Amino acid sequence: MHRNWCVAGLAALLAVGTGLLAAGQKGFAASAQQKPATAEVKIDNFSFSPNELTIPAGTTVTWTNRDDIPHTVVSSDDPKAFKSKVMDTDEKFSFTFSKPGTYPYFCSVHPKMVGKVVVQ
Amino acid sequence: MFNQGFLGTAAPFIADLILLLEIAMGVGLLAGAWLAHKKRFRQHAWCQSGVVLLNLAVITLVMLPSFHARALPKIPVRLGKAYYALATAHGIFGIIAEIAALYILMSAGTHLLPEKARIIRYKSWMRGTLALWWVALLLGITTYARWYAPHFF
Repeated sequence: MHRNWCVAGLAALLAVGTGLLAAGQKGFAASAQQKPATAEVKIDNFSFSPNELTIPAGTTVTWTNRDDIPHTVVSSDDPKAFKSKVMDTDEKFSFTFSKPGTYPYFCSVHPKMVGKVVVQ
Repeated sequence: MFNQGFLGTAAPFIADLILLLEIAMGVGLLAGAWLAHKKRFRQHAWCQSGVVLLNLAVITLVMLPSFHARALPKIPVRLGKAYYALATAHGIFGIIAEIAALYILMSAGTHLLPEKARIIRYKSWMRGTLALWWVALLLGITTYARWYAPHFF
């Protein structure tokens, strides 16, 4: 009789533990879904850093101009996938890449400045 | 429009081309003034008229759209920044010089203006406009350097 009670207690503990673990995983997954993926590109000294960025689809990339000169971020594709306005120092531009592919871009004020976003 | 330039700076091709063209036009105007000094007035008229009309085309087709896209949205808030202040000063001096030059051109070379509106003291007007033109040109060169060759600063 005593042994049966022990088995039942262990089974109950296991069930509660499994339930808590599952709930925790769900919660973690939910919070991961709520927080979209982001990536940063810094514009400094007439270059994009990192120059080439590889990200999963759905990631929002934010470019920040840390230079003392106005810059833009313009897609090289035709039609243009994205195009920022002229960004002053510390101004930002964001774009969400929803489709996989390679997205080359440049600064229309200084065309020597080029970069690439690879969406997987 | 967005091809790389050829002067070794960060400028696009069109900016390099316009810079050299504007310097050539400024020198052309000085050459035209020299022609007037040598009493070769017909060549003087052709030279100055050509430069003024070519500059009008450059302003209309390249400079105004570029200023409208890059500098105008930041004015007057960012006028404290050198690159916007220089571009604005260059634009103001350049427009005044071009309008003055067109006025001289219409007054001296056509009958479009009524008698009362025509210039009497040509020399003063022409010399003043030439000086203004060169101020605008020097501001333009400085603007180019600030936007595309920041190591100069």
